[in-house]
Amino acid sequence: MLREFRTLLPYLRRYWPRYLAGLLFLLLADAGQLYLPQLVRRAVDLVASGGFSLAGLVPPVLLAIATAGLIALGRFFWRFFINGSSRRIENELRERLFAHLQALSTTFYGKSKTGDLMAHMTNDMNAIRMATGMAFVSFVDGFFLTLAILVILLAQNPRLALLSISPLPVLTVGVILFGKIVGEKFKSVQEGFSAMSDLAQESIAGIRVLKIFVQEQAFGRRFADKNRDYSDRNLSLAKTFGFFFPLVGFLAGLTSLIFLLLGGRSVMEGSLSPGMFTAFFAYLQMLIWPMLGAGFTVNLLQRAGASLGRINKILAEQPDIASPPPAQARRGPLQGDIRLHALSYAYPGMEKPVLLNLELDIPAGSIVGLLGRTGSGKSTLVNLLPRLLDPPPGAVFVDGHDVREYDLASLRSAIRVVPQDTFLFSTSIRENIAFGAEDADAGLLEKAAAISTIRRDLGNFPQGWETVVGERGITLSGGQKQRVALSRAIAAQAAIYILDDAMSSVDTETEEAILSALLPRLRGSTVILVSHRVSTLRNADRVVVLEGGRITQEGTPAQLAAIPGFYADILRLQQLEKILKGHG
Amino acid sequence: MSDYFESEDILKSYDSALMRRLLKYLRPYLAVFLLSLAALLASSAGELALPVIVQRTVDAHILPYHRGLVVSKLPADQLERLGKLDPALRIGDIQYLRVSGLGALSALEKDRLRAQGALLEPNYLVLRGYSDSEAARRVMASRPSLFRTVDGVAVIAEQDFRSLKPGERRALRADDFRGLARAAVWFFLVLAGVLLFTFGQTYLQAYVGQMIMKDLRTEAFDHTVGLSLRYLDSQPVGRLVNRITNDVETVNELFTSVLPSLLRDFVMMGGVLVALTLLNPRLALVTLATLPPVLVLTLLFRSRAREVFRRVRQAVSRLNGFLAEHLSGMRIVQLFVRERFSLGQFRERNDRLLEANLGEMYVFATFRPLVDLFSTTSLAAIIYFGGRFVLRDLVSLGTLIAFLNLIRMFYEPVMDLSEKYNILQSAMAGSERVFGLLDTDARIPEPAAPKALEAVRGAIEFERVSFAYKEGEAVLRDLSFRVKAGETVAIVGYTGAGKTTITSLLTRLWDIQSGSIRLDGTDIREYSTASLRRRVQSVLQDVFIFSGTVAENIRLGSPISDERVRQAVELVRADTFIDRLPGGLEARLAERGSNLSMGQRQLLSFARVLAHNPDVLILDEATGNIDTETEKLIQAALVALLKGRTSLVIAHRLSTIRHADRILVLHKGELFEEGSHAELIARQGMYYNLYRLQYLDEEPA
Repeated sequence: MLREFRTLLPYLRRYWPRYLAGLLFLLLADAGQLYLPQLVRRAVDLVASGGFSLAGLVPPVLLAIATAGLIALGRFFWRFFINGSSRRIENELRERLFAHLQALSTTFYGKSKTGDLMAHMTNDMNAIRMATGMAFVSFVDGFFLTLAILVILLAQNPRLALLSISPLPVLTVGVILFGKIVGEKFKSVQEGFSAMSDLAQESIAGIRVLKIFVQEQAFGRRFADKNRDYSDRNLSLAKTFGFFFPLVGFLAGLTSLIFLLLGGRSVMEGSLSPGMFTAFFAYLQMLIWPMLGAGFTVNLLQRAGASLGRINKILAEQPDIASPPPAQARRGPLQGDIRLHALSYAYPGMEKPVLLNLELDIPAGSIVGLLGRTGSGKSTLVNLLPRLLDPPPGAVFVDGHDVREYDLASLRSAIRVVPQDTFLFSTSIRENIAFGAEDADAGLLEKAAAISTIRRDLGNFPQGWETVVGERGITLSGGQKQRVALSRAIAAQAAIYILDDAMSSVDTETEEAILSALLPRLRGSTVILVSHRVSTLRNADRVVVLEGGRITQEGTPAQLAAIPGFYADILRLQQLEKILKGHG
Repeated sequence: MSDYFESEDILKSYDSALMRRLLKYLRPYLAVFLLSLAALLASSAGELALPVIVQRTVDAHILPYHRGLVVSKLPADQLERLGKLDPALRIGDIQYLRVSGLGALSALEKDRLRAQGALLEPNYLVLRGYSDSEAARRVMASRPSLFRTVDGVAVIAEQDFRSLKPGERRALRADDFRGLARAAVWFFLVLAGVLLFTFGQTYLQAYVGQMIMKDLRTEAFDHTVGLSLRYLDSQPVGRLVNRITNDVETVNELFTSVLPSLLRDFVMMGGVLVALTLLNPRLALVTLATLPPVLVLTLLFRSRAREVFRRVRQAVSRLNGFLAEHLSGMRIVQLFVRERFSLGQFRERNDRLLEANLGEMYVFATFRPLVDLFSTTSLAAIIYFGGRFVLRDLVSLGTLIAFLNLIRMFYEPVMDLSEKYNILQSAMAGSERVFGLLDTDARIPEPAAPKALEAVRGAIEFERVSFAYKEGEAVLRDLSFRVKAGETVAIVGYTGAGKTTITSLLTRLWDIQSGSIRLDGTDIREYSTASLRRRVQSVLQDVFIFSGTVAENIRLGSPISDERVRQAVELVRADTFIDRLPGGLEARLAERGSNLSMGQRQLLSFARVLAHNPDVLILDEATGNIDTETEKLIQAALVALLKGRTSLVIAHRLSTIRHADRILVLHKGELFEEGSHAELIARQGMYYNLYRLQYLDEEPA
């Protein structure tokens, strides 16, 4: 477990002066705390002696206030230095993790849940912060204060001291044990919560079935069951918690009790002064927190170790798709000549290849249509070109060189994709369209918006360009989302454009209008049109039909229309639709 | 995923209306709650009693200092003021009494008495019970000059007592030792009581909190599933789940951490003040005088804390929202080579969070040490004035020590105030969101006097029905058609023609905007939705499988006998694959039925409907690819399914259409053609073309 903490070393190395400063202030505060009971002792002994003058009380009282001032100062600054550093380390580690996540490929995201990644970014970071802040403090505090108090007490009266503190080690062990039990119960609570939350999730996702079969109440009862189960688990946890904390008080009270009995005798015998009696009481009470803290430190470190383990695992995840070393990496500008050579591809861990032995030449500047059923491998092919998925070496070439030889940023900048599932960010329409075109001026954006015809919709939005599209573009219709995504892709100049079924939610008339403006704008670039619509594919210089991962047909739209096959079938169907439109 | 990290714009501090509403949920558990309050009072009283026991012990047994008064030299009025004096402690002319017993005399009077030799200077120890002790008698006998004795009570000056050997001292104070032991027993009993009551209180509080949460969650769930699809479809599922689970959870914090500990703090702080006053009103007054700075500080802190806390929450939700979005949209970031840009955006949010966190830290790092400083100031004041009072014999040493302990108990709750305040805020925000959901009143309206729906014949009539999911995007336009009772009608048309919508309208998942849908001649809006949906059921295109067993998925929640489940399964021939599952009908299905094929899921949904035996069936046929083997099974199952009931089939397969008595051809939300297969083929219209293109190749060669 300790090995996991290595990740923190570089940060600790950088922040050590702050930690050192924090440590000094922590020790200052601790020393002050240790000194206070001594002042109380002086004062009480003075008072107990009977014949004293009030003036004698002034020095200890003033000293106490001065000491308290120093303690406050120490406490502020250790927080400033130590908690400040732990926050900064959290900040830097989170940034490092995010930067790393950005470098990981689609394969990684395929196997990780966003929820889990979010948990790493939030909960795990919190646990680590606690380790670099609170755990550090409670360790130092626990160690130093315990040691110092023990020394003071033992020096005064070893027998009395040892007997009085005898319940406290039980406390430390108790915290560690308790941490374990609570850990298990907490897990059980979490499971209960998941079960309940899953049922809620399922019921709402499947709400249609619930309503159709009038099962709202039945599911309500089922939910109530899970709900009760969750409450029970919580109560079981509460029982442990409810027992532990009073137990701390009880053990601490026992310490006081033992001391009252033994210390009281010593005072009666005259071997302990009343002041020391009072001071002893104070010291014993001061011991409780460090003893508790020692146990908590162990728990905090364990938790942080587990969190770091999870984060280390991600950090150890090598970006499986990366640029070649900078010296060897090819860079643009690219012409857009694409060649596939004996391209076969199977997803990692899957036996069945999705693409089989594809051979294809797409000259720069040409328009190629791609037709195929769902699952025929079109999207896989589209993902291989910009290396969102990694093709095998010697299979995919751009401008005569393997895509794997290119600098990744340079390759991807040359390829603009409109993906099938539209993903917009919850920012404004302007920011979404300008997403891939940092230096695009307003004119370019206008043009991109005009070509996709989204510009005419902007007039209907009260905020126009600044309309915030909401989570995943929830405020826009499907067609509007696709057209924003299209504008985003064409806002910047690129050698290759891939439109992966990019206008499925746009009606055919609009699509034709878009294409007639779009294709001239893209002239000179290579364009790959993935579509189910013959009306779209007709614009291609050449159409390729994919069936079951193989190319089954290839030719100009006119050629394919003439021979029986998938293309001709689809063509007939859609021509009819057009005729029908005349009817409607 | 980003649904889980929605931004949190409204941050409530304390809202009394919200609180009142929350407290309503407390009513059923009021008895338990009051019991827990009683336990709370008991444990707090116990905790306060502990320092008092120590004080009593110190004053009575450990340092039982007495003063000596020469009665004959004392003015009569002063003697009067001292009240009743213990005759057992009158030895000769000298009356011994406790230090604090002289409180009735002013300092001036005492000084005068001292000067006159009427008030003896030394501290005296009063020894009792020595006559039982051989050892004590021997000590006294050996040094008779140090002791004054009468009737089993001996008095010795403290400095003389100190001159004795430890063994002798122990022998003389045997009675005090016994008293100390008795006090220790008391102390232990109180301590054990505190343990018990604190446990009871914590557990009962947790119980009340959990019960309230349970009720609130159940209510939220029942309310949510009762809402209309118009509302539910407009909300991300994750958000609704969040309301029911996580947001309710924050309310729980209110009942399990904030309220009990606030009550406890209140009781403790009040209790300390009461205890101080009882112990010594004068010193209590001095202590009280040191408290205003803490009050001012706390008030100042409260407003600052609210601000910094709000900033932190906003920064957190901003960062988390960004993260959730960019982690799920990482592909786009990578495709557009925007890693550096989005890292910049991330950094800005991450740094803003750091700033907010540091800001929060500064506030807290100032508050706690300052409270601590004030606590020590109070302590110093107690020592100084306490010392003064001791000097004037107004306060005993034990009381002074008790004050020093009690004041610490007073300040402790103030320290934790900051954390509780944070929890209170998020609990308020959480409960506001939960209540917001509960206040959402988007339901399919139920008729005031629903018509009975028992023997359904099954005649369906759509009359000029228009419907749009979103305003201005009409899906059905003026659609009219009739289905006779017992008839099977197929609806065909291209994607987007509005076919699937019909299933939702007939079951009133959505209400139409104009026109009328009638079942057996009565508008379906005049029936209760529950009775309507029991009679009219649909099989959806994408079959939703719940996690659970096969049987549970067929039954859903209805009381359907095992035999009928079995029967339904066999009728649709789903037994062929179910029997091969480990456990058969009791086999557990994975989430969303991912361990079943499309065709198997389809069969399962058929069995589901068949087991529920509706009078009218709407089947939305799946479009996906199904292997020929299963396809045959499904076709056979269809026959069983459609038999003897009015059926509306949204058909995608020719073979399905073949089962229909009549065919409706829908185009863009309008009825385009209508007739039997033969009629429509003869007409050579849209159906004819559809048939030729889409279905012809399905015909066996």
